[in-house]
Amino acid sequence: MKSFFESMVNIVRGMGDALWFLCDILGHILCGRIRIGEVLKQVYEQGVQSVIIITLTSVASGMVLALQGYVAMSRFGAKEYISHLVALSLVRELSPVFTALVFSGKAGARITAELGTMNVNSQILATKTMGVDPVEYLVVPRFLGTIIALPVLTIISEIVGIAGGYLIGVYEANIPGAFYINQTIKAIRYVDFFSGFIKVAFFSFIISWVCCYQGYFTRGGSLGVGQYTTKAVAYSYIYIIISNTLLTKFILTFWG
Amino acid sequence: MIELTNVSKTFSGQKILDDISLQIGTGEIVVILGESGTGKSVLLKHIIGLIKPDQGHIKIDGQDISRLSERKLLNVRKKIGFLFQEGALYDFMNCFDNIAFPLREHTRMKERVIKEKIQKILKLIDLQGVEDKLPSQLSGGMKKRVALARAIVLDSKILFCDEPTSGLDPIRSRDISDLIRNVSKELNCTTVITSHDIKNSFRVADRLILLGKGKIIADGNRSFFEQSNLPQVQEFIS
Repeated sequence: MKSFFESMVNIVRGMGDALWFLCDILGHILCGRIRIGEVLKQVYEQGVQSVIIITLTSVASGMVLALQGYVAMSRFGAKEYISHLVALSLVRELSPVFTALVFSGKAGARITAELGTMNVNSQILATKTMGVDPVEYLVVPRFLGTIIALPVLTIISEIVGIAGGYLIGVYEANIPGAFYINQTIKAIRYVDFFSGFIKVAFFSFIISWVCCYQGYFTRGGSLGVGQYTTKAVAYSYIYIIISNTLLTKFILTFWG
Repeated sequence: MIELTNVSKTFSGQKILDDISLQIGTGEIVVILGESGTGKSVLLKHIIGLIKPDQGHIKIDGQDISRLSERKLLNVRKKIGFLFQEGALYDFMNCFDNIAFPLREHTRMKERVIKEKIQKILKLIDLQGVEDKLPSQLSGGMKKRVALARAIVLDSKILFCDEPTSGLDPIRSRDISDLIRNVSKELNCTTVITSHDIKNSFRVADRLILLGKGKIIADGNRSFFEQSNLPQVQEFIS
């Protein structure tokens, strides 16, 4: 009973710490304590260096989606609508979720491992002792780097995924290229793009918060860095999947 | 001048610092001695404001830092250099950038002036030619020298060193102790060092303080310690 009580207290305390940490970050951003050079560096390290893996994942998703769609829709004689299936699935659902999952496994893990290693090696403490705010210098740039990079990567993912679908549609299903592109443009409405964008904005916020928090409060030496990094990625995955379900229901209810 | 008045701190029901009062004069080199877990590092972290005391006051040059906000503490820390046990150099920066970091953060010096200043400091600590190396390419002793350079680069008038000789062989320990003493005297720094290395502490200190169970057991110069009949002192220096 006592250990259960202690666990509950620890969970509530952890949530309080995480919320306090978030308020601290947002406070810095609202007060303009943003180092543009460091943010751009993070956008490069998190975003540009993730382009290849996101491109590979997305082109494969688009192609698989088109192949499966081709098989399924051919049964109803509606293979011309593969483009609709691919575009809507990618823009509304798959690109935001897949990109967020891949990003949290790559860039999110990197954020936690970097901050965690700096913490266990007293580099964060050293930053404080040199009269520099570590949240401003180390955390805010990583937080904003994710907020900026993930939506851009998602747009890249959507374009590349649709291109993958196009390849299958045109060369496998023998749909004329111009027709495929035309149908894709017709299929995507403003609300589809918007619903995907809401999701990705939310995911980027979740990933940056979780990964920065886990890294900044890493304890336990090199073993701790491994544990907290794994925890950061696992929590990010769980929150992305749960929030995606809730957001999908919310968006469908209000915007259709 | 550093002044501690009735400072107490308890962690998880265990009293780590128990009503400590202490004054450290300008330019003095003080070594805080004690076994592991006696609160040496905790005391040092109190003096720099990384930990707030449960009771008591800590004043640096007359300013009570024990109740200052984190943002105000950042300003106080600009005039303090801190040498960490493992150096705590940024591993994503080369040595030059590590040493230049406080200058770039807190001054408007031009890069040319920064370069000249770093050359001068590297000469002072006898470590020229490492500017382009990453901390991972340096030995333990060299890392501590670079970290010392970073700690004094802002012409700090207060220098804290947390276990500067730990993890070093006897020769490197002696060298780093001599270096700290020379640098402190040259820059007229008030220096506080934590250590359990009695031999090098005698070498470097103007004054030694022995901590035990959160209290000051002995406070005096080398000859005071050598002549003391207190069993804790005898046990520690023997």
